[in-house]
Amino acid sequence: MRTRDLTGDTAEVVRTPTTERSPVRQATKMQVNDLAVWYGETQALHGVSMDVLENEVTALIGPSGCGKSTFLRCLNRMNDLIQDVRIEGEVTFDGDNIYAPHVDVVELRAHIGMVFQKPNPFPKSIYENIAYAPKILGQVRKRTDMDELVEHSLKRAGLWDEVKDRLQAPGLTLSGGQQQRLCIARAIAVNPSVLLMDEPCSALDPVATATVEQLIDELKDNYTIVIVTHNLQQAARVAGYTAFFHLGEIVEFSDTDSLFTHPREKKTEDYITGRYG
Amino acid sequence: MLVFFGGLLPLATVAYVMGRRKALVADARGDRLHSLPGQYGVYVATWMALPAIAIGVVAAGAALLGVQVPAAPFVLIFALVGAAVGGAMALRRVEPGLRARNAIEKFVYWTLFTASLVSILTTLGIILSIVFEALKFFNQVSVWHFITGTNWSPVAQFRPDQQTAESQFGSVPLFAGTFMISAIAMLVAIPIGVLSAVYMSEYAPYRVRTIAKPLLEILAGIPTVVYGFFAAITVSPLVVDVAALFGLNASYTNALAPGLVMGIMIIPFISSLSDDVINSIPNSLREGAYALGSTRSETIKNIVLPAAFPGIMAASLLGVSRALGETMIVVMAAGLRPNLTWNPLEDMTTVTVRIVDGLTGDQAFDSPETLAAFALGLVLFVVTLTLNLVSIIVIRKFRQSYE
Amino acid sequence: MTDRISLTPSRHLKKRYRAEKRFKACCIGALVLAMAFLVLFFTDMIRQGYSAFYETQIRAEVTYNEDTVEFAMDSVSEEVFPLVSRAFFRGVPRQVENNPDLMDTTQTQWLTAKADVDQYLKGHSESLDPEMKASLEQLQADGDVGYGFNTGLFFSGDSKIPSNAGLWSAFVGTFYLMLVVLAISFPIGVATAIYLEEFAPDNRFTQAIEININNLAAVPSILFGLLGLAIFINFFGVPRSSALAGGLTLSLMTLPVIIISTRAALKAVPQNIRQGAQAVGASRWQAVRDHVLPLALPGILTGTIIGIAQAIGETAPLLLIGMIAYIPDAPGNLTDAATVLPAQIFTWAGMPERAYVSLTAAGILVLLSLLIVLNATAVILRNRFERRW
Repeated sequence: MRTRDLTGDTAEVVRTPTTERSPVRQATKMQVNDLAVWYGETQALHGVSMDVLENEVTALIGPSGCGKSTFLRCLNRMNDLIQDVRIEGEVTFDGDNIYAPHVDVVELRAHIGMVFQKPNPFPKSIYENIAYAPKILGQVRKRTDMDELVEHSLKRAGLWDEVKDRLQAPGLTLSGGQQQRLCIARAIAVNPSVLLMDEPCSALDPVATATVEQLIDELKDNYTIVIVTHNLQQAARVAGYTAFFHLGEIVEFSDTDSLFTHPREKKTEDYITGRYG
Repeated sequence: MLVFFGGLLPLATVAYVMGRRKALVADARGDRLHSLPGQYGVYVATWMALPAIAIGVVAAGAALLGVQVPAAPFVLIFALVGAAVGGAMALRRVEPGLRARNAIEKFVYWTLFTASLVSILTTLGIILSIVFEALKFFNQVSVWHFITGTNWSPVAQFRPDQQTAESQFGSVPLFAGTFMISAIAMLVAIPIGVLSAVYMSEYAPYRVRTIAKPLLEILAGIPTVVYGFFAAITVSPLVVDVAALFGLNASYTNALAPGLVMGIMIIPFISSLSDDVINSIPNSLREGAYALGSTRSETIKNIVLPAAFPGIMAASLLGVSRALGETMIVVMAAGLRPNLTWNPLEDMTTVTVRIVDGLTGDQAFDSPETLAAFALGLVLFVVTLTLNLVSIIVIRKFRQSYE
Repeated sequence: MTDRISLTPSRHLKKRYRAEKRFKACCIGALVLAMAFLVLFFTDMIRQGYSAFYETQIRAEVTYNEDTVEFAMDSVSEEVFPLVSRAFFRGVPRQVENNPDLMDTTQTQWLTAKADVDQYLKGHSESLDPEMKASLEQLQADGDVGYGFNTGLFFSGDSKIPSNAGLWSAFVGTFYLMLVVLAISFPIGVATAIYLEEFAPDNRFTQAIEININNLAAVPSILFGLLGLAIFINFFGVPRSSALAGGLTLSLMTLPVIIISTRAALKAVPQNIRQGAQAVGASRWQAVRDHVLPLALPGILTGTIIGIAQAIGETAPLLLIGMIAYIPDAPGNLTDAATVLPAQIFTWAGMPERAYVSLTAAGILVLLSLLIVLNATAVILRNRFERRW
């Protein structure tokens, strides 16, 4: 597999991770083919291709403005909400192109959850924060089922013990780390199969970050996770695979160990050794 | 007056030149000036103009109050002397060490501060002007009767010594009318205002928004007297006709027409305030909801509107306050007859109508009917003040919580 | 996780989309309704008012001589006399006085018709005295009835004769009122805003001033009328009905508008401009005067124009300080009894004759045009000089 020359126009692109880690081919959950994104006149992504493997944590790293967040937001079509955005290429989810006309974006987002940079709990109670989506999606109708689901989701997010006595308290009364875990609990309550995380720990202190990282590690058994992070150590700690983005392209994509220990590209090496970015 | 200011200007210029010259001389001698030469000039000119203006203002105020003051030329001479003394003293003080700039700075500060007191004085003025007359009224009519009485029938009194035994000042029907018309107005304004704000901030493409917003503001810019004419000449007959279609009898001065028109008038207030409030809800909340698979309307109804609720509530309270105090529409389109009823098709009168009626007639200024207008004004002031304060504080809190 | 997930809308989702459509339709409906009111309002005013901009005129031979100066009604023929506005006959002596050459001549002139005739021909009233109708039809057949621009609407003062009533004295009154409001509320308003935004310490007292100003902006206008009546007129003895009394009262109403918009304009000037000026040794006031104010000026002017426009349309407080008196002549100075446009509209709206309905609507159209011009100026000013930081 040849990587794309940064200056050139080689047709071949990084697509599946160059891996030395596992001889077992894992199933591909999402596949991105030649994705290009324009915000108005400026192009943010230049034909990116990538496979997201099932039940793995894939980290996206790169300097600010490299397109990693844009890429992430294309995976559940959050970019559709932005005016003047043009998206070309193909993103498949279990083999279906999510940009195909028959695909319903609301339906799609219920299957691909997202956690944001800043914790954004709704101005509602802790209970309501989690019950909101299953209720509008019509997944749960009975009160007792809902109680069970709330408890289950909070437990999965490792928050249950801290909040079980004050489920009716506003979500905004929690600490930053708790708020972020509440948002994760909220996302998994609708039982998505992919979780997208956009720098989920950047607004948290180190202790809360450690808790959330541990949570991500536990969640990967059931979910496919794509995480954008600024923090290289974090990528090294949580991700099985890592993609390095630069100027709207993927420079290198491989299993995390080899990317950090034997980067193939000069750019990658410069970045991970802290020479720029 | 013209002479006064016309004379002051050249004098001040002379003072400026002299102050500056003295400073320049000092500078030429090699002394280090604290401030710029021109600032010494301004310093002297200010000290010269201030006493003159003060004397002029005092004289003018006294004249307006009817106090005997010396004839205009004497005042002028007085002012001139004051100016000369002030200017001379300031000029003597001009020396290199004088901190003219700091003095000017201080003067500017206190001038600006004084200006900001005018708004406080205005509020005080409103309170004083209402309270004194209202107290006179309550000396003649018991507060209890005023608040609970259901019969408002003042007998016109043209001379202060006339009998007033038959006058009744029960204000309940006036307030009933006011609340009825305001309620109709809010029923029109709140849903239309809030929903159009939702459309403009959540749905409308940029282009529609830039056209619709100023068009809505036109509604806010139409003078109330114009709305009053519209209500009286077009909407009232329309209400009567439509009521007749349903076999109902409506008065030509029914409460519905002014209520509807007032509602139209208030739409832009509610919509622009709600628009601000909705726009200040952080986008991250909306994204959070979309990412869970909400549709747009679900996001608006379940996340955005509940979060914006305090602000929208405050906007509505401001709208209510405006409706209660609105005058021209009801003066022109509502009735004059105090009428305690639930039927909006009947004619009703309001507090503001009665205030205008009590103060534009030919009654003596101290007649109970005139004083009653001030009593009504007092109640109106207290009620609207409460509503305004609550909504101002809620909006301030709301802004802070999302900043 | 191995079940294949369908991304096409489920039945439940289709139901949710219908709710979505209903909600969006409600929102659009609300906006459309508000716009419909606007359209209805303007068409109604134009429909009611356009006919007052032209007037019916009658061509007649007018004889000027000693007799007709004394008894003006004899200056035209008996058939024409009942059809012509009485205002014309009142003016005959003055016409001769101004132009002595007219004496002992006979002129063919277009004369303003009586309001009854005018209204009848415009189709506003069905009935006309049969005799008048007959002579009118005769004149029409001879081509002696025509229409002309109603110059009186703009250039005469108020009158109890509808065909002679105009807005001139209201224009002059409004102009004086504007001067007073501008002279008082602009300097005080801008000074207050500068104090609050640039100098005031952040303490309780400042907050009280701020809340007070926000409250003043929402105090019912009629209460300002009570203040004007009790303080300016009864206490300070400012002449009732005068432009000065009205101007003082409305100044206080306009003040909060100017303060709030000036503060917004000052706030929009970035902090680093102040810091930059102070860093090179300018004092606080110098920084404000030389750097902040020039940048904020367009915003301040915009706010002032909007405030003035509001004051021009205000009526309620003026009712209480007696500015609805019948004022046929334009005021000569600030203390003369005066009327203003909205007050004139109010007075006309209360007149019983049908002709005043059109006049009122025409007055409204004139007032609205004036306000639109003012506001458009404000908007243009804002767009022209607005800077994004």
